[in-house]
Amino acid sequence: MTIKIGIPRALLFYQYFPMWKTFFEKLGLQVVVSGHTTKGILEKGARLCVDEACLPVKVAFGHVAELKEADSIFLPRLVSVSPGEYICPKFLGFPDMVKQCAQDLPPLIMTNFNQYRREGDLYAAFSETGRVLGSNPAKVYFAYREALRAHKRHTSLLQRGYMPEDAVKLAGEPPEKGSLEQEDVRSRPVVAVIGHPYNIYDGFISMNLIKRLEKAGFRVVTQDHLSEETLRHHAGRLPKKLFWTLGRNMTGGALHYLSDPGIKGLVHVASFACGPDSMTGELIERFVRRMGGKPFLNLTLDEHTGEAGVVTRLEAFTDMINLRLASGS
Amino acid sequence: MKGYLGIDVGSVSTNLVFLDEGGTVREALYLRTNGRPIATVQQGLSEMSGCLPARTVIRGVGTTGSGRHLAGVITGADVIKNEITTHAVASSTLVPGVRTVLEIGGQDSKIILLREGMVADFAMNTVCAAGTGSFLDQQAARLTIPIDSFGELALQSTLPVRIAGRCAVFAESDMIHKQQMGYNLADILAGLCEALVRNYLNNLAKGKEILPPVVFQGGVAANSGMKKAFEKELGFEVIVPPHYNVMGAVGAGLLAREKMSGSMPTGFKGFRVAGTEFKAGGFECDGCSNLCEVVEIYEESDVIARWGDRCGRWSGSLTREEKIS
Repeated sequence: MTIKIGIPRALLFYQYFPMWKTFFEKLGLQVVVSGHTTKGILEKGARLCVDEACLPVKVAFGHVAELKEADSIFLPRLVSVSPGEYICPKFLGFPDMVKQCAQDLPPLIMTNFNQYRREGDLYAAFSETGRVLGSNPAKVYFAYREALRAHKRHTSLLQRGYMPEDAVKLAGEPPEKGSLEQEDVRSRPVVAVIGHPYNIYDGFISMNLIKRLEKAGFRVVTQDHLSEETLRHHAGRLPKKLFWTLGRNMTGGALHYLSDPGIKGLVHVASFACGPDSMTGELIERFVRRMGGKPFLNLTLDEHTGEAGVVTRLEAFTDMINLRLASGS
Repeated sequence: MKGYLGIDVGSVSTNLVFLDEGGTVREALYLRTNGRPIATVQQGLSEMSGCLPARTVIRGVGTTGSGRHLAGVITGADVIKNEITTHAVASSTLVPGVRTVLEIGGQDSKIILLREGMVADFAMNTVCAAGTGSFLDQQAARLTIPIDSFGELALQSTLPVRIAGRCAVFAESDMIHKQQMGYNLADILAGLCEALVRNYLNNLAKGKEILPPVVFQGGVAANSGMKKAFEKELGFEVIVPPHYNVMGAVGAGLLAREKMSGSMPTGFKGFRVAGTEFKAGGFECDGCSNLCEVVEIYEESDVIARWGDRCGRWSGSLTREEKIS
């Protein structure tokens, strides 16, 4: 029987899933993913998790608990994914928090991913993962190369404008098959959604924010649709370096979209209790004002947020854009 | 006479207005919702039909407020619109050239910035209801002052006391503290108004450019103490427009008028719905672990609407999609 590796559909899943999946599959393992977030998953997560954590971490706990049937759960200790920058400390501590708080789980694979010094240190993380699994080093190296290729393809699909989950679905097909290639989708007014990937792409946490905007007739882009160079260039306009990778991406993305006349509005999604978010939100809002005031909406989400409040704000936001479009400004 | 109905179902009040074909407010009703939105809408409709001349033709209906979907399915509304847009529409119509709208209602407060007649930015209070009408209501009740004379009393103050307005709970204990120290009531009430205004400007309006003309509307605008406190803090005149307490309904009516000005037939079910039996039922969907609480609205024995599900399994099954959006 093939060994099943569980991957929670949470946190950096949306950026790295194709890479991780390819790696494990090339080693001959089967990958299982937890389902989409539901109230049940959140409740389970909130019960297991420490009280002070932010909503996405609570949700991630719930996803881990969904993977009890797997033979192992892949919970990398993500320290840094980019030289000179860090990932949120809660990610670093996540595997240990899970180990402390959740019982009856299959063994956890908690390899360190730390590219703080060098981009190339990624191989060390994969080779360590392979060693834990007892795989042949040559096979591990081959799987790692394939994983990098899958990641590159995922990134290029994102930069083409696909949402991560659509990109995952499209992984085996030519991009021309995707829904975005249709003329009517391409010609819609564009709204940028800026936020942590695990908030904006998780339909439960974001209350279907992206779908709602699409239903209201917009095309949605996020910071993940921009190239690393663009993000760095725009984040570089700040007087100081932002050393959280995600915060840097969000701010860089927001600044880029603010200077793009094709973008008709900007939504910033923050998790309540997230320190960096409260700062990036404020930074972005100031730039919105300084750069001519595009329609802007700052949404703060937590587990108590009612859908009605989000819907009302979103409707008012889309009305604001539509009225401006109608008046031709 | 022909005209349009606007209905605003808020947490504290339910308001109905009748606009004539030119968009002028002819009748306005302000009712307390009392936690029974369906019954209140029905009561409003029957009162409204009593105010209007016989053979009045309703050409369109718009609903707004947190109960807009409910009011929408009960009456058969042509437009269901969020309260931010309706408030902006109403104030820019009634006060041409307005650039800032301060709105304080029962459970929420908003600030809307308009530039050249268009909404440029807005904010709405989050979960915290400190500084909204409910809190003033509650404090007035605690001091056994009719809410209508709250503002008048506050205006008599010569030296408003400083009260912490950041949180309603703290504000209350601060007020009690001041009252036990012997400050007079008028000064405490005026102090409370100033605290609420400070809270509003520091939280909701944080970083927003408040430019005159400023319009102050919503139920709380009835409180002249609040108007004065805003003027003191902002340093210029604040306009309380006519129909300030039913502006949401006016906006909904205006939007209905805009949409229905052609020869489209209205979806309005008629004033008869005031006598129809509406019931709300519900169940917990067991389709997935979201366990959504689905609400069903019955008109007599027919289900006319369902909502509350995340996936659209129930709500998509019968509601007229284009209206609930």
